[in-house]
Amino acid sequence: MRGEASDEELMLRYGKGNVRAFEVLYRRHRPPLYRFLLRQAGDAATAEELFQDTWMRVVNSRGRYEARAKFTAWIYAIAHNRLMDFFRASGRASFLSHEESESALEDLPTREIAAELRLDRKRAAERLLAVLAALPDAQREAFLLQQEGDLSIEEIAGATGVSRETAKSRLRYAVAKLRAGLEKES
Amino acid sequence: MIEPRDEELSRIYRDAEAPRPSRRVDDNILAASRRVAGARPRSARSGFARRWGAPVALAATVVVTSTLTLMVFERQSDLDKMASAAPSAEEPANVSPEEPQARPSAKSSPAESPRAAPTSATPIPQAAVRGDRLKERPSESTTSSERRGAEQPRFAGDGPRAPEALRKREEATPAPSAAAPFSSERVGADPPAPSPDAQRAPEVPRQAPRAPTAALAGDANTVRESALTLQRAGVISAPASRVAISEAKERPPEKWFEDIRKLKTQGKTAEAERELSEFKKRHPDYRLPEDLR
Repeated sequence: MRGEASDEELMLRYGKGNVRAFEVLYRRHRPPLYRFLLRQAGDAATAEELFQDTWMRVVNSRGRYEARAKFTAWIYAIAHNRLMDFFRASGRASFLSHEESESALEDLPTREIAAELRLDRKRAAERLLAVLAALPDAQREAFLLQQEGDLSIEEIAGATGVSRETAKSRLRYAVAKLRAGLEKES
Repeated sequence: MIEPRDEELSRIYRDAEAPRPSRRVDDNILAASRRVAGARPRSARSGFARRWGAPVALAATVVVTSTLTLMVFERQSDLDKMASAAPSAEEPANVSPEEPQARPSAKSSPAESPRAAPTSATPIPQAAVRGDRLKERPSESTTSSERRGAEQPRFAGDGPRAPEALRKREEATPAPSAAAPFSSERVGADPPAPSPDAQRAPEVPRQAPRAPTAALAGDANTVRESALTLQRAGVISAPASRVAISEAKERPPEKWFEDIRKLKTQGKTAEAERELSEFKKRHPDYRLPEDLR
């Protein structure tokens, strides 16, 4: 439960040597962070490697951590950087090539999710994941950061190193395309 | 307009399967977190103990050992000092307070020094002398009372760290009732019998330096002899000879007898008589040799 110590408090405790605080923190953020990396990297092996690397950086930064920002914004920023390294190393240059202008976004109509998908939630989820995988990396990342990291537009912008407007644009595109994909399939 | 957060999409997304990392990855991360956070302080502590424990223990042992050794050595050297100071205190008692004034002239007469050497400058080990004295004490002559008079203030004043037991033992030595034959080796040896000189004796240690005692005694004898000789020859004045004569009073009886005999053979009967009466005054209980009675 997240009603107990905050992430930041746990991280500070861990910085003072409280291993139990880290275990709580790890179990709290383990599933969403892994899902974020898995859906961005595309395969489990890479996701596990990036996941482990991200947490190791958290562990090694324990003495330097300052609770100036939300812990999730910090750890997802680390994960983002690891992903960028991975994309660069693997020659995946698509991350920055799918920026769309705000004017194009204005043209996107608000789609209604098909009625049968609303009833078949499992099928809708599968469909959503398929559409999500087809999104440009930056847009998918914005959506995932919002869903898994529970980050705001500003925090997404901070974690990914872009302006607030860019982050907002990516998120809008991601949502619009997901909705469009769910409607189309129905 | 698109909502910043699409709740309907979020609900569908949450319904999707929730993959998790493998147990191996979990174990790796948690182990690393314990190793880095938990183990480091402990290992640092044990590392410190491991690295510095032995040297610190060794240094402590060396310090304690050397301190004890120094203490024992210091104590031993104090005891030795006191032991050697005890006999050395005997010698100055034979020298009158005026002796330091007369000493330079004695030293400046090289002809006399060879005579002094065999009497008291004999290189006898101090400890051996001390041991002899302790053994012979019960039969010592009354002449040593002078030395005793000089010795007491030395322990009380000059030797604040003198073993109390040694001093008490000296004080407790029984005074011989009858005069024993005087031993020239033990010039001014022990016993009590307070004499007028013994009353003055406490001044001696303060004036007489702690200089080598054998040499000091040798000087005293030399001074006495040279003073007498010079006085007889009329070379030195009466006051100067008085200084020398007062020292001559400290002569050992046999030496005194020898001098008296010399005066007699030289025909100086009056001087010989005067010396003899002076001797009797100084040593009323001493048995005179046949030829001087």
